[in-house]
Amino acid sequence: MKLIKRNVRIIVFAVLLLLGSLVGYGAYSLAVYGNRWFSSASNVYARRHKADVIPGRIYDRNGTLLASSDESGKRSYNNDPALRSALVHVIGDSANNVAYGVESFMAQYLYGFTDSFVDRLSQAFQGTRRRGNDLRISIDAGLSLAITKAFPAGKAGAVVVMNYKTGELLSLQSFPVFDPMNIPKDIEEDPLKPFWNKATRWLSAPGSTFKVVTLAAALKNIPDAMTKTYECTGAYQVGDTLVTDAGMASHGTINLKKAVEVSCNITFAKLALEVGDEALRKAGQAFGMDDHFLFTDLVVENSVYPTTNRVNKEIAWTGAGQSALLLTPLHMTMITAAIANDGVMMEPKILLQASNAAGNTRGSITPRVYKTPLKAHEADVIADAMRAVVTSGTARRAAVSGLKVSGKTGSAQVAGQAETNAWFVGFLDEPDLPYAVCVVVEDAGGGGQAAAPLAGTIFSQLRHLRHD
Amino acid sequence: MMDTDRHRPAERRLVKPMMLFMFSAFLLLGLKDFNWLSFVLAILVPLGLHITTLLLPRLFPADTLLLGMANFLCAVGILTLYRMDPERGMNQIVMYALGLGVMLLGILYIRFWQRLKATVPLVAVAAVVLMAMPVFFGRERNGAKAWIALFGVSFQPSEIAKLAHLVVLAFLLSRRRVMMAMIFAGACLVLLMLQKDLGTALIYYGITLILIFSATGSLTVLGLGTAGAAAGAVLGYSMFSHVKRRVAIWVDPWVDHRGSGYQIVQSLIAMANGGLWGTGLGLGNANVIPEYSTDFIFSVILNEFGVLFGLCVIAVYALIFIRGVSIAMRSRTKFHTLLALGCASFIALQAFVIIGGNIKLIPLTGVTLPLVSYGGTSLISSLGIMGLLQGVASVNQEDIKEDQMIALIGEES
Repeated sequence: MKLIKRNVRIIVFAVLLLLGSLVGYGAYSLAVYGNRWFSSASNVYARRHKADVIPGRIYDRNGTLLASSDESGKRSYNNDPALRSALVHVIGDSANNVAYGVESFMAQYLYGFTDSFVDRLSQAFQGTRRRGNDLRISIDAGLSLAITKAFPAGKAGAVVVMNYKTGELLSLQSFPVFDPMNIPKDIEEDPLKPFWNKATRWLSAPGSTFKVVTLAAALKNIPDAMTKTYECTGAYQVGDTLVTDAGMASHGTINLKKAVEVSCNITFAKLALEVGDEALRKAGQAFGMDDHFLFTDLVVENSVYPTTNRVNKEIAWTGAGQSALLLTPLHMTMITAAIANDGVMMEPKILLQASNAAGNTRGSITPRVYKTPLKAHEADVIADAMRAVVTSGTARRAAVSGLKVSGKTGSAQVAGQAETNAWFVGFLDEPDLPYAVCVVVEDAGGGGQAAAPLAGTIFSQLRHLRHD
Repeated sequence: MMDTDRHRPAERRLVKPMMLFMFSAFLLLGLKDFNWLSFVLAILVPLGLHITTLLLPRLFPADTLLLGMANFLCAVGILTLYRMDPERGMNQIVMYALGLGVMLLGILYIRFWQRLKATVPLVAVAAVVLMAMPVFFGRERNGAKAWIALFGVSFQPSEIAKLAHLVVLAFLLSRRRVMMAMIFAGACLVLLMLQKDLGTALIYYGITLILIFSATGSLTVLGLGTAGAAAGAVLGYSMFSHVKRRVAIWVDPWVDHRGSGYQIVQSLIAMANGGLWGTGLGLGNANVIPEYSTDFIFSVILNEFGVLFGLCVIAVYALIFIRGVSIAMRSRTKFHTLLALGCASFIALQAFVIIGGNIKLIPLTGVTLPLVSYGGTSLISSLGIMGLLQGVASVNQEDIKEDQMIALIGEES
């Protein structure tokens, strides 16, 4: 019997551990995924109860009214068709064509599901139809409209503007836009897929903008990386592929800073093979690749570092931002923001404040560090190289007089497309204008020609924020 | 007598809030749509709780605390079912009454164990025959072929065989006939596998392992058993397409959230809708989950009563288990110890398997939430298990009384 007692103790421990795991896992998954489950399109309960509540209004950071409902609950957006079109992806639409806009992902606030029992009861006694919470979001409507006007007509793409110190998003643009109160009948046939939020949901190879990640891998793995030189003869044979540079340029003997400036594919191909696939993957993962993004305010597709067919030619092309790399424009913005912010990556945020009918406010923005991919001095080295890209390299057209602009261009080749996707990532090195920007214009040509000038326009727009 | 005096206030304290809870809950349902039946139940259910928890044990010695907790879970089940579908709630009350009868039989079986242990071979054969029946002329439901119809009533033999399984294993292991026990348990497992009733098979396996381990104390058995389970899981995964499908749904139910993943997705959404405090009794919509009354009743509870109440439900299972184990430790023969331990573990493991499936901790297997889920056989067998446990408890109390008598006689002489 004594033996049984010891055995039983082990069993009690095991069974209670199992029951405890139910509590632990349940609490964890509800805390982490609860809002995602709640705002899912499959949630019949939320859909049904939305009818009982007048959804709250949405304001931008400067107090511009973006969405409101009348007493019957009918939803309408800003009176200016151009403005409401410009913000359609970040806000969403009442028919939920745009997945995970503020309208759907923040439904728990807008429809007052988070209101306390007391608040609900007091509203019930007032006899009025319940009102959801009003939201103030971090988006700058004026800036977003200006970006939309500057974006090449008839092109698909995305633009993201983020405060790299707090993670607040000022613009989260996807193109083409459409008017949520006047949706064209044939919109589903549009090959540019206007419903799709390309800033957060479109995964693609980022082209040479990814070289900042390759450079980070070099800094972490090659001690004398910045003093070493590489030979660029205009063509570099790896396996059965020939790595070349745009316009078959030959850069001669160059160091890494110069290689970033002129965006030398050959040097970065050599660099990728030098540090190896694992080191490059680690650098990418330090920046959040392969992560399961679970941001409180946004649903973002997960970036992928390729795992199959890792032969030398694929590794070489990965170093130059091609191969099977998959990232979203928002994630490239976050990577750039981390470089600008001394190596600290902030979680992207969009909700500034939620206030309910009783006047209680909550959900005020609290900046949260998401990752720290770089040490401050490593970030400085990369930022320094990116500064040279704008002053004398491929992103000269992003320069704005009077502002310290840094950046990196990319021209990503995509199978079945006539032109490359034009990319630009960059940031302002100004203490009172801590903004990172990402521009992607699909099927438009080189990043230096088709994306950098647009970025320049955005940077000069951002200058106006100084007087806020 | 000392013992009961010390415990009585605790049970009284426990029963009153439970009665109040049930009274207000049914009253609320009654006020919601002015159904006279709900008002009647607002009186009858608390009254029933009082009678079954405090008055019934006067007829025979039993562990009132354990009884109270089991009754509470049954009442929560009846309440939830009645709110979702009054007819099922009423059926559940009838089944509960029948289950109480079976519980009494269980108590009597253990009380008269000395005379009845000769029936063990019969019980073993009956268990195997019962479980073989669905394999040959069973009906398929949700992928499992675990049901048979007898005299127009359809039921799940594996539910009834649970009781036999526990008694036979405890008997064999108390006599150190480990090989025999393994053969018997193996036969039961094979029959369950043939019925594709994976959840029940998992629980039977776990119980067998627990009992063999506590009887022999062999860590090798525990290690080999766990490894065997892992190997079995891998083998099952590679051999059976329905296992693969279950696992795929578990890994990501959202891929096919309208099809195969629908139940899990809706279960998770129901949880999220409930939040900490629940949507409120009668205000949820967990009936969008097709199996809301059986496999997913825990999600319904989380939906309407909230996560905190769900936590309490899990805590009650943990307390039932702990109480069961303490009964096992107080009993004086190896058979009674093993039986009580098996019963307590059975309830706890079954609760774990189905709640884990509901919250997506483990792949979903169709077992019921013991004492709560809708289903005659399930409720009756769960109450039967509680009966066996109560039987051991009552034997313990008898033993204590005898001790006191002997002590008393000793003092007098």
